[in-house]
Amino acid sequence: MSQNTAIAGGNAATAAVRQSRSSAAFNGTVYWAWNFFGGLAVLFALWWLAIYVTTLNPAMSHFASFGPGSAFKEIGHLWSNGLIPKALQTSGARLGAGLAIAIAIGVPIGILIGRSRRFRELSNSPFQLMRMISPLSWEPIAVIVFAGWDQAIVFLIAIAAVWPVMFSTAAGLSKVDPAWFKVARNLGAKPWHVVTQIIIPAIAFDVLTGIRLALGVSWIVLVPAEFLGVTSGFGYTIEDARESLEYEKLMAMLLVIGAFGYLLDTACLALIKRYSWHK
Amino acid sequence: MSNHAASGGAAAAAGLTGTRTSRAAEAAGRGVVNFSLGLLILAAFWWLGGYLIAMNPKTQSFAGFGLVQTLQSFPELWNLGKLQKAIAASMYRLGGGLVIAIIIGVPIGIIMGRSKRFRDLSNSAFQFLRMISPLSWMPIAVFVFKAWDDSIIFLIAIASVWPVMFSTAAGLSKVDPAWFKVARNLGATTIQMLTRIILPAISFDIFTGIRLALGVAWVVLVPAELLGVTSGLGYAIKDARETLSYDHLTAMVLTIGVIGYSLDTICALLIKRFSWHRGDA
Repeated sequence: MSQNTAIAGGNAATAAVRQSRSSAAFNGTVYWAWNFFGGLAVLFALWWLAIYVTTLNPAMSHFASFGPGSAFKEIGHLWSNGLIPKALQTSGARLGAGLAIAIAIGVPIGILIGRSRRFRELSNSPFQLMRMISPLSWEPIAVIVFAGWDQAIVFLIAIAAVWPVMFSTAAGLSKVDPAWFKVARNLGAKPWHVVTQIIIPAIAFDVLTGIRLALGVSWIVLVPAEFLGVTSGFGYTIEDARESLEYEKLMAMLLVIGAFGYLLDTACLALIKRYSWHK
Repeated sequence: MSNHAASGGAAAAAGLTGTRTSRAAEAAGRGVVNFSLGLLILAAFWWLGGYLIAMNPKTQSFAGFGLVQTLQSFPELWNLGKLQKAIAASMYRLGGGLVIAIIIGVPIGIIMGRSKRFRDLSNSAFQFLRMISPLSWMPIAVFVFKAWDDSIIFLIAIASVWPVMFSTAAGLSKVDPAWFKVARNLGATTIQMLTRIILPAISFDIFTGIRLALGVAWVVLVPAELLGVTSGLGYAIKDARETLSYDHLTAMVLTIGVIGYSLDTICALLIKRFSWHRGDA
C-alpha cells in the first residue's frame, strides 16, 4: 500500500520534473522566437521608416518603390510567375557544383598539409598568394578557358571556396592527437582505415566549419559572377531589375538572397554542432 | 676565483645566446628557403603552362598568359603609369571602406558583447543582412550615391563590417567579468573602462576581424570596379581583356595577389603583436 503510494508519488514527481523541463525548453523557444521575429520586425520597421522619411521630400518620391510593402508584394508575384524558383534552382546548382569541387579538391590537399610538414611549409607561400588573388579577377581567364558561362561561374565559386575548406581541414588535422595514429597503427589499421576511422571523424567538425566559411565567400562571389554573360540566377535578376528600373523587384530579390543565404548558413551551423566532439 | 666562475658563467651565457640566435637564424633561414622555393615551384608550373599554350598552334594567341611575357609587361605598365594609378585608386577605395567598417563595426560589436538583450535581439536582423551578398546592394548604392567611388566604398564597407562586428563581440565575451568589477571598484569612469580595459583586451580580436574583413573586401573590390569606374585594379583587368593584352591581364592578376598577400601578412603581424592570450603567439 505504502509502496504503491510511494511509486505514485515518484511518478508524480518525475512527471512534474518532466513538465518543468519541457516548460523551460518551451520558454527558451519562446524567448528565441521573440528575439528572432522581434529583431527582424525592428529591421523592417527601420527600413519602412527610412523610405517614409525619404519620400516626404517630393524630389525623392521615386524612392517609394524601394519600400518593404512593395517588396513583399513583389515576392508573392515573382514566386507565382516562377522567377524566384528558377533563380533559386540555377544559382543553387552553380553554388552546389562550385562547393562540391572546392570540397573534393580542398579536403585531400588540406589533409596533406596537416600530415606533412614539408608540404605545409613549401606550399604555404604559393597557396597564400593564390588565395589573395581576388576570385573575380580570374573571370576573364575563366571565360577564355571554359566554353560555357555556367562552367566559368562554377570555376569562380570553386576557386573562391577551396581555400577556407583547405585551411580549415589542415588546422583541424593539426589538432588531432598524434597518439591516435600510433594506436591505430599498433592495432594494425591500414592507411585506408586511418582515413575513414580516425581522420574523417576527427576533422568532420573542422571541414564543416571550413564549408561554412566557403559558403559565405561563394555567396559573395555568386552574385557578381552572374552579372555578366548569363541570363539566369540571382545576379542576373538583380541586374535585369536595375536595367528595367523595377525597384520593387530589386528589393524583393535582395530579401530572397538574404533569406536563402541565412537558411544555408543556419543549416551549416546545425551540421557543425552535430559533428562537434570538442568540449 | 669567483671572478673565474663569473667569467665562465658569462661565457656559458654567451654560448647560450649564441645557440639561441643561431637557432632563430636557422628557423628564419628555413622560412626564407621554403617561401622562395614554394613560389619558385608555382612559377615553374606557370612557365610550363605558358610554354604548352605557346607551343600549341591553336592556343598560340594566348601566349601572353605565360610567365615570361607577364613579367616583361611589368616595366611597361609601370612606365605607362597604369600600375601605380590602379593601385592608388583601389587602395583609396579599400581604405575608405575598411575605415567606415571599423568605425561602425567596433562600437556595435562592443554593445553586442556587453548587452545580452541587444545581442539576442539583433542576431536575426544582422545575420540576415550579413547574408545579403554585398554586390547585390550595387544597384541601390549607385542610386543613392552620386559618385561611383562612393558606391564602391559603400559596397566594401557593407561587406567588411560584419567580420569586424562579430569578432569584436566574440572578443568581448571572452573578457573576464571580474576585470570590470575591479575597475568599477577602483573608481574607473566609463571612458577609462573603454580605453584601459575593453580596447586593450579586445584589440587582438579586432585585428582578427579586420584581417577577415580585408579578405572579404578584397573579394568585393574587383567586381565592384568591373562596373562603371575607369580606374583601379578591377578596371585594369577588364581593360586588358577588352584590348586582348593578355600579358597585362595576368600582370594585374599577379599584382592583386601580391598586394593582397602583403596586406594579409601585415594584418597577421599586427594580430601577433597585440595578442596577450597564452599560446596564441
